[in-house]
Amino acid sequence: MRRTARLAVLAMVAAITTAGCGYGDDGDSGGEDGEIKVGISTTLTGSLGDIGNGGRNGIELALADLNADGGVLGEQVSLVAQDDDLDPARGGENARSMIVEDDVKAIFGPVASSIAASEEAVADEFQVPIFFFSSNSAALLNDTFTEYAFQVVPNTVMEPRAVAAYLAEKSQGTTVRIGTFAPDYSFGHDSVDGFLAALDALDVDYEVVSQQFPALDDPNIGPALNDLVAASPDYVYNAQYGNDLVTFTKQASQFNFFDKTTLIAMFGVKELEALGDGVPPGTVAFNRAPFWSLGQEATDFVTRYQAEYDELPSEWALLAYTAVQAWAEGVEEAGTFDGEPVSDALSGATVSTIRGDITFRECDHQAEVSEYLGELADKPDPEYGVPLWTAGSEFEATFDEISDPC
Amino acid sequence: MDSLILDAVSVLSTAGWLFIVSAGLTLVFGAMRLINVAHGSFYMLGGFLMTSLAASSAGIRFWWALALATLVVAVLGALLEVTILRRIYQKDHLVQLVATFAMMLIIADVAKTIWGSRARTVDAPAAVDGTLTVGGASFPTYRLVIIAAAVLVAVALWVMLTKTALGWRTRAAVEDPELLSSSGTNLTLLRTGTFALGAALAAFAGAVVSPQLAVAPGSDTSIIVAAFIVTVIGGLGSIPGAAIGALVIGLAQTIGTSVAPSWAATSIYLAMILVLAVRPSGLLGVAER
Repeated sequence: MRRTARLAVLAMVAAITTAGCGYGDDGDSGGEDGEIKVGISTTLTGSLGDIGNGGRNGIELALADLNADGGVLGEQVSLVAQDDDLDPARGGENARSMIVEDDVKAIFGPVASSIAASEEAVADEFQVPIFFFSSNSAALLNDTFTEYAFQVVPNTVMEPRAVAAYLAEKSQGTTVRIGTFAPDYSFGHDSVDGFLAALDALDVDYEVVSQQFPALDDPNIGPALNDLVAASPDYVYNAQYGNDLVTFTKQASQFNFFDKTTLIAMFGVKELEALGDGVPPGTVAFNRAPFWSLGQEATDFVTRYQAEYDELPSEWALLAYTAVQAWAEGVEEAGTFDGEPVSDALSGATVSTIRGDITFRECDHQAEVSEYLGELADKPDPEYGVPLWTAGSEFEATFDEISDPC
Repeated sequence: MDSLILDAVSVLSTAGWLFIVSAGLTLVFGAMRLINVAHGSFYMLGGFLMTSLAASSAGIRFWWALALATLVVAVLGALLEVTILRRIYQKDHLVQLVATFAMMLIIADVAKTIWGSRARTVDAPAAVDGTLTVGGASFPTYRLVIIAAAVLVAVALWVMLTKTALGWRTRAAVEDPELLSSSGTNLTLLRTGTFALGAALAAFAGAVVSPQLAVAPGSDTSIIVAAFIVTVIGGLGSIPGAAIGALVIGLAQTIGTSVAPSWAATSIYLAMILVLAVRPSGLLGVAER
């Protein structure tokens, strides 16, 4: 290879490395000597940075609330935050350094499941509790399970099953033409496989007319979208999230695709804010923690979050808040910050959170929580400025309906 | 026939968008022998400026916002060339690479400070929004805008580089800079202008494609990877090569999606490896001496 071309490829490799998302350690270390510390290693920069920052904000707010109420076991708690650059190795290094150098008593996990697995191994090695609130691979609590890991979010088995259950109710025995659109990595493939398997299990009469797996974080989805549009599905199950879902919705709308096709996707507050009035009418959203469906404490959290950060919280922020609440309750129950007693105290326990009581299943520490779906309204909610769900359209898939038995 | 038209429009719009951004990258390398990793930053800034101008309550019309975003980034590019880059022209490519990489990181942080970390969107003008049906195939009208923009850029660059004294000087700046300088050409100004033009092309690409996607942090790095693939395939420094490289990528993705959707994302890397194996300098590239 000629020298310049070689250098160009080198530049490209450097860019790909950076394209993972981050631009290095955010270096945001809170806390002072003498305080109890907890840590978060997540994606804080790049295309997934919005998700990671939402989670960090939720943890900061939860700690602020705990500290204002006297702390945990009477101790003030502060946060150490590090950027994982969307790199599993970096996530593991962060977890190790936070435990060894900062002496964190708990870790709150990352956006991506591959990085979560890396951090989970370190947490297991040092017997430090780790809480997953964004990454939701079922494998984290099956294949790589450790007694120190807890998941407060519906996992990759539960979520597609909830969508399938919704579709089973909507299809009413008629044959439905299905298209799928998911990011080309384990989460996307697992979600689609799980969704189709759940349709089979529910005896839904369906035909898959198009399956597309565009690369994660690649805005050039034109060819994949062409194929999907040409197949004219009745429903599209889209497992994208964040910017990728916004890009899909923008481009598909320009095809007038949603005139005849119903999109079912993970529309959270941030995606809806980005799309503004570009949200297709009739779109069905699935959501792991819609604050408007979770009761007064959840909406109170939204008010406090808005006052603190001058923006609506994402569901990741809310879930992060509940993760901190769960850890704090485990510590109070155990009467110590040590990892093993805290994990023992939480295993099989029911804890109070802003989304209501949640129980960590004893066999795998999966929180027994529901997944929610609803049809997006055609205009923004006057209080929150984004379209919420139309009255009567909410569909709750309970833990018992969508989870695997232990 | 329907799907053929649909695929053709898809290939051309994908290629058009990639060509505009890659043309700036390859122009800067061709005229200045500078590998600019921060090129994607200019693309990202173009998109972000569109969200502030076209989508703001100021009500600036889309097309004016497009021009303004491009101009602002061109001026920024000129400033960076004057303050930083002109000090490293005589250095090794690796030094240039590291310096522009640092620029990319700094611009990303500045952009995050200004626009935050959340995604933003821009609406296409009503006249080119919606769907167009040709020969039974329906596709977004805006794709034609991107194709037209690419054709416009290609023609303008061709005219500038081959039919004007400025183009002759730009090419001569690489072949024999000393002779050019002794003939009265202000070489310093020429390089500043060329770099500003490269930045403007990146910003124009980011701005013109903004109604089609989420404008968000991280778009700088994802586009620079695609732009490098296009320029490596076409040959570093060759504008026609960038056009061919962009078409190769557009075709590879479209064919890949039709044949094996799960492997479509891989197809562009496969295309690059194939070209490099057969022709290490790229399809229209010339090996550097």
